[in-house]
Amino acid sequence: MSKYPDMSTIKVGDELPVMHKRAEEAELFLYSAASFNPHRIHYDRAYANYEGHQDIVVHGPLQGSWLTQFITDWAGPHARLLSVEWQNRASAFVSEELSFSGSVISVDQVNGSVQLEIYERKEDGSVLMPAKATVKLEQS
Amino acid sequence: MSSSLIPPESLARVGEILAGPVTVRIDRRESQRYAYAVGDLNPIYFDDESAKAAGYRTLTIPPLFITHALVAPEPASKLRTDGLYEDSTSVVLKVARMMFGGEEWDFLEPVCVGDEITGTTRLLDLDQKEGKKGPFVRLVRETTFTNQDEQVVARSRQIGIAR
Repeated sequence: MSKYPDMSTIKVGDELPVMHKRAEEAELFLYSAASFNPHRIHYDRAYANYEGHQDIVVHGPLQGSWLTQFITDWAGPHARLLSVEWQNRASAFVSEELSFSGSVISVDQVNGSVQLEIYERKEDGSVLMPAKATVKLEQS
Repeated sequence: MSSSLIPPESLARVGEILAGPVTVRIDRRESQRYAYAVGDLNPIYFDDESAKAAGYRTLTIPPLFITHALVAPEPASKLRTDGLYEDSTSVVLKVARMMFGGEEWDFLEPVCVGDEITGTTRLLDLDQKEGKKGPFVRLVRETTFTNQDEQVVARSRQIGIAR
C-alpha cells in the first residue's frame, strides 16, 4: 500500500502532516543566490531595519516554494499539483519557527482531485499566509 | 473619488506586456540549486529514474522555479540602493511602497529539465481600493509560460499591494 493519499480513501477533513521551517541567514542568502534576487532586505539587517522591518525578511517566493513542498511531500511523486494560491498577510523573519498545516476541504471524485486549505503560521499562532491548492491524486 | 493613486497613463497600460517574451532552457543545475535552497529534496528533481517512475519525461523542477529560471542577467551597475534592479517596466503609482500581496498559479503541463520555456508578463489589472488604513492600489501581473511545443505550461498572477 502506498504511503501517499489516494482517491479511494481520501475524505474531507483529512489533515496533512505539519511541516516546520526555520531559515537562518545562510539559508536566506542561499535562496537569494538561487533565485537571483539581490534585494537587500533579505541579507542586510541594518537596511531591513531602515525600511521598517524588525529583522532580515524571509522571501515571499521562498515561503511559496515551502508551500508547494508541503503539498507535494504529502501527495507523493505520482500526484500533480494543479493550482495553488496564497496571500502574504505579514512578514516572516530570519530564525523564526514557522509551520505549515492543512486539510482536505473538498474531494472531486470525477476529476480525481482534492482541494486543500493551508495555513503558514508563526510560533504564536498568527497566520502569515493562508493558501488553497488543488491536487490530482494517484489513482489506485 | 478621492485623489487617485493611479496616474491615467499607468491605468492606460492595463493589458500591456510588461516583460518578455523571453525564452530560456531549463537548466538542471540551476533547478537543483533552487530545490536545495528551499530544502525541497524531492527525488523527482534530482534522480532521473525517480522522475520517470513518477511519469515525467526526465527530471522535473520545483513548481515555482520557472519564474526564477527566466530572470535576465543584469550588471551590478543597474542596482538601486535597495538592492533591486532598476526596472523600466515598473508601473508608475503615487505610493510610498509596494508590498508582495500573494500569488495564484495554475499548472497545466509538466515542466522538465531541457524544456525551452517562454515567459510573457502582462499588466492584468490595476485597481484602487479603500482599506482600513486608507486607499491602496492592487496591481496584478500575469505571466504566461509556454514550452517548445507551444503548450501553455503554467500561468502565474502576482498580486502587489501599494500604498
